[in-house]
Amino acid sequence: MLFAKKKKKIDGDKHYVSLANIVGETAILYKKEDLVSYDCDGFTIHKSMPKAVVFPKSTEEVAAAVKYCAENKIPFLARGAGTGLSGGAIPLNGEVIISLAKMKQLLSVDFENRQAVVQPGFVNLKLTNSIANKGYYYAPDPSSQYVCTIGGNVAENAGGAHCLKYGVTTNHILGLEVVLSNGEIIEISENGIPDAPGYDLLGLLTGSEGTLGIVTKITVRILKNPEGKQTVLAYFDKAEDGSHAVSDIISAGIVPAALEMMDKTAIEGVEAGTYPVGHPRDIEALLLIEVDGVAAGIDEQIEEILKVCKQRNVREVKVAESEEERGKWWANRKTGFGAMGAISPDYLVQDGVIPRSRLPKVLQNISEISKESGLRIANIFHAGDGNLHPLILFDSRIPGETEKAVKAGTACLKACADVGGSITGEHGVGIEKIEEMRFIFTDEELEAQTKIREVFNPENLLNKGKLFPTPSRCMDVKKVIKEAAAN
Amino acid sequence: MLELKEVMDNKILADKRFGNTGLSLISVKSEEEIADVLRSANEKGKTVSIVSGGTKRGYGGLKEEYDVVLSLAEYRGIVEHTVGDMTVTVRPGTTIAELQNFLRKHDQMVSLDPSWPEQATIGGVIAANESGPKRLKYGSARDLVIGLRVVYPDGSVIRTGGKVVKNVAGYDMNKLFIGAMGTLGAISEITLKLRPVPKDESLVLLSVKEEHVDELKTFAIKVQDSMVEPVTLELVNPTLSKQLWDREAYTLLMGFEDVPNAVQYQEEWVRAQKPKEAVMDVLPANEAMDFWNRFANIAPNSLTDNSENGEVKANLKIGSKNMQVMDVLKEADRFQRQYGVTLAAHGGLGHGLTNAYLTGSEDQIKAVVRELRDFVESKQGYAVLKHLPFYLREELNVWGKGQSYHFLFEGIKRKVDPNNSLNHQRFVGGI
Repeated sequence: MLFAKKKKKIDGDKHYVSLANIVGETAILYKKEDLVSYDCDGFTIHKSMPKAVVFPKSTEEVAAAVKYCAENKIPFLARGAGTGLSGGAIPLNGEVIISLAKMKQLLSVDFENRQAVVQPGFVNLKLTNSIANKGYYYAPDPSSQYVCTIGGNVAENAGGAHCLKYGVTTNHILGLEVVLSNGEIIEISENGIPDAPGYDLLGLLTGSEGTLGIVTKITVRILKNPEGKQTVLAYFDKAEDGSHAVSDIISAGIVPAALEMMDKTAIEGVEAGTYPVGHPRDIEALLLIEVDGVAAGIDEQIEEILKVCKQRNVREVKVAESEEERGKWWANRKTGFGAMGAISPDYLVQDGVIPRSRLPKVLQNISEISKESGLRIANIFHAGDGNLHPLILFDSRIPGETEKAVKAGTACLKACADVGGSITGEHGVGIEKIEEMRFIFTDEELEAQTKIREVFNPENLLNKGKLFPTPSRCMDVKKVIKEAAAN
Repeated sequence: MLELKEVMDNKILADKRFGNTGLSLISVKSEEEIADVLRSANEKGKTVSIVSGGTKRGYGGLKEEYDVVLSLAEYRGIVEHTVGDMTVTVRPGTTIAELQNFLRKHDQMVSLDPSWPEQATIGGVIAANESGPKRLKYGSARDLVIGLRVVYPDGSVIRTGGKVVKNVAGYDMNKLFIGAMGTLGAISEITLKLRPVPKDESLVLLSVKEEHVDELKTFAIKVQDSMVEPVTLELVNPTLSKQLWDREAYTLLMGFEDVPNAVQYQEEWVRAQKPKEAVMDVLPANEAMDFWNRFANIAPNSLTDNSENGEVKANLKIGSKNMQVMDVLKEADRFQRQYGVTLAAHGGLGHGLTNAYLTGSEDQIKAVVRELRDFVESKQGYAVLKHLPFYLREELNVWGKGQSYHFLFEGIKRKVDPNNSLNHQRFVGGI
């Protein structure tokens, strides 16, 4: 796929030659057939071709490529592993994609000060694997952690199953090296020292979906593995009982490391998938609950959880008897989205957040949306922090069904927004939810955000057309999505 | 503009020692009133300083007087507490103590332990990004604030974040206002995520003589590599230890908050693993809480600082790598001896922040601040003066040497407050 090493001429556009001079001739793709796999990310409903893809190997090369694009008014964007689910890395304007896939080193680990420094292309799970021998780990654990990159995690402020207790990416970022949209390099909290005087740019950049700068080096916090860990699986005949159990566990003063829920349709999916564990098919909800911490304190909390589940009419509740059993339960959960492929030709993942106490009502609403649309909706979600993932099952071969699925997804987000929730808890806005931003923000509030973008990205060449609705832009995107849906 | 009562004869206006005062003071009781004051000031080209509890008037600021002081102290109270969601929405003038006492009835808490809970308000704590030793385990304001309402200088009201604990819709605008020292807007409502009050707690104190202080560092590293999960790993210098505990020794404060079994187990672990030179004391829950209350009132502030006859009090906040806290404290003690100041200090071995409280003559304070700042800046750290009389602030440069990317701060300020009407010159680099 990449060019041969020997001298050869780059055809076409002069920009290809100039970019090749910056990153090297073997580190650029520009032929149509090579670019096809970069026309979308994990959000596959919309596709659009980039102008080129470059693979810089250093911060300096990133900066030089950015500077070149900026000077020549060429739109550009950064890309990690391309697992994003909201289309944040999709080139809408014929961008030059700056892939950070080759910047994938673990630069240093400092156990004494509990921090590690990685390049943006370093894969999330590899960090934990690299420090596990000393009993340390990196907390944010998105389901795609075996392939997604930490740079991408920073861009999206990625979450995961264990952020109920340990927080999301932003809570673990201590320092960033950033290439600004004009090619200038800045270092924010280079040594991971907290509370650097000035506005909290670490916090602002994390989750800015690649619209404020390109992160080229990341200092993260690493944590010691908890001494004890116990996992409980509970089956409920009624979804409502499961929802109440979630609130009761939290109200009992327990802060579980994870508190996950799946509904009946989701269970059907995961049981047909690669990692079935033999969940009963006739229950309405299951909870997967994990408690960790000092071992001496775990049993007491598990007792309490079992008590709560019983009070809420649990059909069966069990504690994992081995690490192997625990691993099986988690594999079943973490591959849940993909498992929907076993029961439906296509599925659309949504990502809304609600105040936990509104769970029963919103689940009811989602079930009504399912009935109205005639599409099945499976629910797999982080119940502890109210982060829902409705999975809308559809068949794109049936004319109009994709469109229906997109519409149902929007309706689910509206249901979340209507109870004071948010339209995304961890997947980001990207292009997918641009219009839905209006569910939760006024024009004034959106403008307050775009004004901040103007400070960092005044020409709007960096990842243009993402996150914020503008009257023309959002109509374009919606039109494109609708056209894609119609095809 | 509303018929707002302007107070001319007020303690805040009368006391000029810390600057950040004004020609008149307007105390507001609603968001609309905040908006009216800011809008009107902005339109008329007037400058506004924001105050609430009044503890931080010695923190930053190169203006002795603004046109108007906007007081949020009377805009207080709980707006909404959703017990099941473990979130609370609160007005800025609510004191930390009032908020915590209210939540405690529901066995919940804001896991933030800033100084002066009885006086400091949640609005001020968020605007100044205040935290205490327990941030080791529970994080700081940026980890707890999930939503804000902010009145912009032009009077518009912006909501940031929301009322859910996980949210990535748009930019994380909450972060911009936390620690911004009121230079970007007046925070009119704050939504925080809560934690359950721990079922049990205790405080283990390990004291060593100065010559054995390195043993405590070795021990702290061992703690971090172990299964023990302390909420604090705060090292206190002998001067402060004497004030707090009547024991002139380096003392490591290890708080444990968990279910009773786990608390007890961790105490026993410390007893078995501690350096043999260390004297160990354990304070049970009640005494631990008393201790932390005392601890929260040791820093000088603009309400309580009654220095006279040329005496000056200062609070230097130092940021370093976690374990460098040990070196910072040792250097601080060296300067204490060298210059003859009184210097009480504590720093978190797990979070890298040290606070030094200095009392001495003007010349002594200047010398020690410069020495300590040079030392930490040589280690890529920083030193910020959180409390200092107005007349010394410009000379000693409250915020230190600043950042290479200061132009971004200026750009943000310009977009939000183009007329520099809000808390102008209060923050880093004269923003």
